[in-house]
Amino acid sequence: MATSGNNTAVYGGDEINAIVLDPGSYYSRVGYAGDDFPKLVIESAYGESKDGGKRFYGDRVGLARENYEVKPIIKDLMVTDWDAAVEQYRYCFEEYLQLQYDEQPILITEPVWTQHRYRQKLIETFYEEFDFPALYLARKPTCVSFQQGRANCLVVDIGHDSVSVTPVIDGISLLKNSMKTNYAGAFINDHIEDLISSQYPKLCTDSYYKIRSKTPTTYPEPAQCVYRALPNGGIGVTPLFDTYMKQHLWHEVKEALVEVPDSKLHGGSKNISNSIYNQDQYKRQFQFPAGQYVTFGIERFELADCIFDPVSYSFKNAKYTEKYPPSNGELTLKNTHEDYKPLKRARKAESNQSTPPPLDRLHITGIRGLTELVSSTLSNIDIDLRALTAHNIIVTGGGSLIPQLTDRLYNELSSINPGLKIRLHAVGNASERTNQAWIGGSVLLSLGTFHQMWVSKHEYEEAGPDRILTQRFR
Amino acid sequence: MSARDILDVLNVQRDELPGLPSKKRKKLNSDSPMPRQTGMARELYNLLGPNTPPVHLGGVSGGGGGLGGLKDKMNLKPSPWTRLEFNPQQGNDSKGIKLYHWVKGSRELLEQEQATKEYLFAKFNTGVEIPELVGEELYEQYMQEFEEKEEEEIVQARLEAEARRKKEEERRKERAKNEEKKQAKEQDKDQSKDEQDKDQSKDEQSKGEQINDKNIEVSIDDAGAGADADADAEVDTDTGAADNTGGIVTVASTWTYEETKYLWDLCKAFELKWPIIHDRYTYDLGRTQEDLKEQFYRLSAKALDSHDAQSKALIDGLELYSKSKETERKQYLENLLKRTPAEIAEEESLVIEARRFELAAKKMLIERSHLLTLLDSPQSSQSILQYNSSQGLATLYNNLMIMDKNQKKKQGQLQKVQNSNFDPVPPAIPVAASSSFKKERVFQTPLQQHLAGVLKSNQSNNIKLETNSIQQLLMKRLTQKEEEAYGLHYHSNEKLNPGVLLRSAQKLPGLQQRQSVLKSVSTLLQELDVPTGGGTSWKPVMPTRKTMAKYDELIRSVVALLEMKKGKDRLEAEIRLIKSQKGLE
Repeated sequence: MATSGNNTAVYGGDEINAIVLDPGSYYSRVGYAGDDFPKLVIESAYGESKDGGKRFYGDRVGLARENYEVKPIIKDLMVTDWDAAVEQYRYCFEEYLQLQYDEQPILITEPVWTQHRYRQKLIETFYEEFDFPALYLARKPTCVSFQQGRANCLVVDIGHDSVSVTPVIDGISLLKNSMKTNYAGAFINDHIEDLISSQYPKLCTDSYYKIRSKTPTTYPEPAQCVYRALPNGGIGVTPLFDTYMKQHLWHEVKEALVEVPDSKLHGGSKNISNSIYNQDQYKRQFQFPAGQYVTFGIERFELADCIFDPVSYSFKNAKYTEKYPPSNGELTLKNTHEDYKPLKRARKAESNQSTPPPLDRLHITGIRGLTELVSSTLSNIDIDLRALTAHNIIVTGGGSLIPQLTDRLYNELSSINPGLKIRLHAVGNASERTNQAWIGGSVLLSLGTFHQMWVSKHEYEEAGPDRILTQRFR
Repeated sequence: MSARDILDVLNVQRDELPGLPSKKRKKLNSDSPMPRQTGMARELYNLLGPNTPPVHLGGVSGGGGGLGGLKDKMNLKPSPWTRLEFNPQQGNDSKGIKLYHWVKGSRELLEQEQATKEYLFAKFNTGVEIPELVGEELYEQYMQEFEEKEEEEIVQARLEAEARRKKEEERRKERAKNEEKKQAKEQDKDQSKDEQDKDQSKDEQSKGEQINDKNIEVSIDDAGAGADADADAEVDTDTGAADNTGGIVTVASTWTYEETKYLWDLCKAFELKWPIIHDRYTYDLGRTQEDLKEQFYRLSAKALDSHDAQSKALIDGLELYSKSKETERKQYLENLLKRTPAEIAEEESLVIEARRFELAAKKMLIERSHLLTLLDSPQSSQSILQYNSSQGLATLYNNLMIMDKNQKKKQGQLQKVQNSNFDPVPPAIPVAASSSFKKERVFQTPLQQHLAGVLKSNQSNNIKLETNSIQQLLMKRLTQKEEEAYGLHYHSNEKLNPGVLLRSAQKLPGLQQRQSVLKSVSTLLQELDVPTGGGTSWKPVMPTRKTMAKYDELIRSVVALLEMKKGKDRLEAEIRLIKSQKGLE
């Protein structure tokens, strides 16, 4: 009955060209289900004139304008600025995709740590602001598991704002066992900025938009460049816009330089590894926009090591220290049941499960790096599923593209869990790995069996958001 | 020449209807869509006959080559595709939504079809069947029953735990006693140097242990204190588990009807996928997966029991669920996963070693059985009745003689084959046996005789003959005593190198053994104070012919002796093993 007679029986597909929306903390993705790649990958930020005038989205954000600010829409995979979000999505749907709303439903991905109130706001907004006939919320790890075709797996998502580890069983994300920290891509960016401001004081860190032409120099020498004529002599450019552009610069440094070392650089056999990574073969040069070349050696590895071992890397600048409070990755799950009863017994929730491996430092600081996060998640999973999930660890997200990251993760996990057979799966294609959740959503919506799951606007109006959330999107 | 001609030649009858007029047949042939083919000789093509060609020769349907086919396709009206509206949730119209997908076929037809058929994927939307939750009153009643049962279990568990503790204490005491004894005995051992005494004390010790050891699962090894420590640890975990289960049993009785209803709801929604149910269970975060399972299973069993008696097996299965067992199992799994790499490696090496032992034992058994079959081999399946009479015996004797002869012949042939690689002359008649030889001997001079003998031996390639003839030649002149006095010796079938050879440098055939065997031989010789010319050299001090021969003999017999000893040791070990396997020792 569906697309073509014989194939239906094989893959059970039924293409209805629904929309998949995958909001991310750095990029958001929008596209048609059934495609192998999102139609639009758009930064989760918007530009706005200070006087509250026009808003800009997409490629138009990064242009220097007078009295113009760039603000984020999403933090930790959750929408923080609803007005801007709605406007951005409207821009995507109406201007870019030119949708007829009533022709297809929409799937929105969400992280596992969303709270009831946030989800309520989310579906209310979508049902009321847009005219989609139906809606569905899918957890990101679930989508990733669909992309890989593994119903039982452990999804390690290293994104921009957050690192999350979620077990997926039978295609459903387990919320209680999930973990999340903020030691992710943005954390590295901040470390880069911290490093440069403290160790390279003479470095000119003006972003590309300010520079018109440059002559290459080597770092201690001052930069020789010609500045671009900016509106109102550059005075009109707001600091918010400048930080936004600098973030892009740090992002570029991260992508060009950072590499994961084989083992921890601090603590343990420090001297040995340090001397190895200071060798010439590990040194890389980077040209900053103003034309200065800076050579990085061990710093390249330290910057990546910090997401494995955040304890050993403290910021020089106090503002960052405040930004990253110590996190052990455990999610505080509130009791969503109306009739909450206080715990009658002081018993651990995982009395049948093993305690995480004794990491002495962990008990002191309560901070979990990437490996500790994964292994403590593993040790919290039900013992019957542990071997299965350990054998199907999916590493995804842009942060996982740092060279040698999967190798290091594999080695450390294997040595911490000698009894488990660890196997990591990471998509080889870089753009597939950054958009894995979206692609998974696209796969999910192409299944003929999925279409009975849609929650129509009519149903929403009848039952109300609360009931929809507890009954349909749980 | 067409296919028909060939069929005619071969006299093959076509299975056509005889009544069919030939004209029609011709027409059929000419009308068939094959005729004009390119790239193939017409004669060859005709040979294909009326059958469809085994190879597809492009554009058959078009009848005008490949291009024509394409043209045809372009002219063909494509089957229509329709963007059709459908409702995947046909069951409940109120929730229905309109979705659109492309379907092959014309709109009218499809719409008609859709009205009658349900959504293609609707049949996949299934759920699990779970028994209905019982009413509140019944629920209270059941819970009461469970509680009573649990209390009994608690009492039992406590009793068991106490019993276990007592046992443990007993065991400790015994262990202490044993150790005291051991110490005492060790002192005894030190004092008494007599071996017999030692043995006796050992026997006593083991006896004492046997008496003390009744009912103890963990065997106490007198060899190591490490084993004792292990046993201690095991006992500790056991009691820990018991305490744990006891604790759970006491708290699990706080299920309210409402919470159970909530559980039922989740079970239905997540199709009894327990990890997920447990994950989404937010009523009471302290509940473990086992708590949920227990509550669900026991209530389901009750509900099923009251409704229909058909699902007896299912109910039995449900009632088999034991929370304590489940937690215990998980605990064990947990411990299994907690092993350190060193432990895992050790375990693996042990497994490999065990496997090696098994293999060796198997190999030995196989060898044994081979030997046994060899020993038993000429077991005749025939009855011996026919040999009971004297006549029968005679035939048997004859038969055996014939067999013997045959065997000898075969051996002779074998030798011949080995020897006659370069000389295919049949073996000469043995000298002594042939009558002609005697005659010759009478009339010929000794030299002639010799030469004839040499000639003959050359002919037959038989060394023995040659040496015999020399011996015979010399025997004429010298007596045995004289020979010995002159030191004459006939090298019968030894291989001699040309030139002068010192006997001290002679290679003894007995020395052609493996290095390890030779070593043990030399140690044995040294033990027996047999002079070997000192040190590593392998010769007697005075290597005369006789001593060398004796020496060779000696070495051979020593080797044989060593082999016997080895075999004996092995057999004894085997006997011991089998005895221990059968529990005789």
